[in-house]
Amino acid sequence: MVYFINDIITGALIGLLYALVAMGFVVIYRASKVFNFAQGELVIIGGFIVWFTTMQVGLSLWLSIPLSLVLAGLVGYAIERIFLTKLIGESVFSMVMVTVGLLILLRGLVLLLFGPAVRPFPIIFPLKPLFLGDMLIPMNLLIGGIITVVAAVGLSWFFNRTRSGLRMTAVAEDHVVASSMGISVKGSIAFAWILGSILSTIGAMIFLSGKSLTFLASDIGFAALPVALFAGLESIGGLILAGVIIGVAQSLTTNYLDPMIGGSLGSVVPYIIMLAILLVRPTGLFGWRTIERV
Amino acid sequence: MDPSGIFPTSYRTDRRVVRTRWQMAALALFVGLMLAAPYLVSGRIVAILNMMMISAVIAVGLQICTGYAGQINLGQAAFMGVGAYTAAILASKTGLTFLLTIPLAGFSAALFGFLFGLTAARIKGFYLALTTIAAQFIFHFAVLNLPSNWMGGSNGITVPPAELFGLRFVGETAQFYMNFAVTAIMIAGAFGIVRSRFGRAFVAVRDDDVAAGIMGINVAATKANAFLIGAFYAGVGGALWAYMIRFVGVDQFTLFHSIFFVAMIIVGGMGSIVGALVGVFIIRMIQEIIATVGPNIADSVSFLGGDIVFAGMNVILGGVIALFMILEPKGLMHRWNIMKSSYRIWPFPY
Repeated sequence: MVYFINDIITGALIGLLYALVAMGFVVIYRASKVFNFAQGELVIIGGFIVWFTTMQVGLSLWLSIPLSLVLAGLVGYAIERIFLTKLIGESVFSMVMVTVGLLILLRGLVLLLFGPAVRPFPIIFPLKPLFLGDMLIPMNLLIGGIITVVAAVGLSWFFNRTRSGLRMTAVAEDHVVASSMGISVKGSIAFAWILGSILSTIGAMIFLSGKSLTFLASDIGFAALPVALFAGLESIGGLILAGVIIGVAQSLTTNYLDPMIGGSLGSVVPYIIMLAILLVRPTGLFGWRTIERV
Repeated sequence: MDPSGIFPTSYRTDRRVVRTRWQMAALALFVGLMLAAPYLVSGRIVAILNMMMISAVIAVGLQICTGYAGQINLGQAAFMGVGAYTAAILASKTGLTFLLTIPLAGFSAALFGFLFGLTAARIKGFYLALTTIAAQFIFHFAVLNLPSNWMGGSNGITVPPAELFGLRFVGETAQFYMNFAVTAIMIAGAFGIVRSRFGRAFVAVRDDDVAAGIMGINVAATKANAFLIGAFYAGVGGALWAYMIRFVGVDQFTLFHSIFFVAMIIVGGMGSIVGALVGVFIIRMIQEIIATVGPNIADSVSFLGGDIVFAGMNVILGGVIALFMILEPKGLMHRWNIMKSSYRIWPFPY
């Protein structure tokens, strides 16, 4: 029973990590109506920036973490300036395809710049797990979970209650209408990418803390994708619930079902949940329903 | 647009694929050159041509699904994989002739694609792209985790060579003719599909699915059909691939390969069969150039090792996709058509 509860808690915390990465998707979508397929690559770029500033340059963590976040923001801004500003008002297809192009472009660039070597990642959160009776909870995931909840509450307040957040919501609704109302679509998209890139870097820190870093870590982007869709792409608060559900489902499948069938069903469970929810409710749990006119 | 003085006088002539004598001559010249190619060029180039023809079948399928019907599909490599595995299993376990395995591979891939096409009934736009990514992951999972005597697991399956009346299709030249025959049939079929009732329904759904539904088109069935046809092409291409490489493994059908196919139709031009062929030619050429030049560069920057080919390919293709979407979203065929029509109406502006 203790192990069962422990599995649930660990699963929920991993789910919250997915939710943090998924928050990158949602923030970019929520402020620009672009679905960013290259989210996993942003995570890996964030990871390499942190690695570079701590291990390579040798800064202390207190200095390197803020610096990394600033650099990650700059990368996000640069990507937006080079690729996405020019596509404002173009079709959804163009935008999606550009981010698909970015996915392989960034993956290739990371490989060219850093090579396929495995690198040690700095220990940002204490390695020693937290013991609760017989249960053991990884410290990085616990702190990460708290960060995720705080970020979700903060961002959800920002997008739903503040003036500038609502402006961005209008951009997500319709680029042309928003710009004719005097809202800067460019500014909104730039902000979204900076924020998305910073969130990805935080995700990278939690995910990789004390582990090793290779370009394959970007797979977390695809692991987080079902969470974003399950919650509905417009809802930031919903990510927490969706993340916990998917994380727990995955953890239970990996620990109890997989030994029985002798396979790794756990890795596809999030996708099966995602497909099921898309069929029943295409907008996810908390997404907006839109009415279409011809 | 037809040249001046060429106009159809009946529905029959209006439906023609080859419209003028010059087009007929160009087509005959192209087919003749292709048939003679194994005797004109070296074995290495024939091997490249083989690869291009197989890619052409798959890219044309993607063109029908994405370019004509407007359904974003990032799972084409998974559909290709389903076809390749079907052909490999049938050929190695039951010893069926390739005349049967290739169509069966197409049908099994079509079934798999149709399942994902059904989701298109409720989902559209980039949500759909996400479910096709799920197809990619589920395919990967199924191959690696089903009992390994079914699909070979991570070891892959070795495929016996294609055989017909005691004639074995081994070596570039023999495979070239087999691939050419299948590719020719598939591309001719594609021209037929896109000018048929189905093809017009695809275009209507692509341009506006709500309006198409109001006009009486069964939108859900049309979208599912588009996936079915696209996946059928991918399956046939996958079967050809299995017979050419003589080995199938799950690493040959990843999301990256799907994106390469998408790059082909974006470069060539969406909504044009010839565009898909042009795109295949250009992207495969780029691949060949990188594969040839890459190792030389790898020698000078040694820390990258063999990964430079994969990395360079990703950088260039990713850059190509982004550049085309920003600068020439309609692809090279669109530019070519503009050139052609301005040449035809010269010296008048329109």
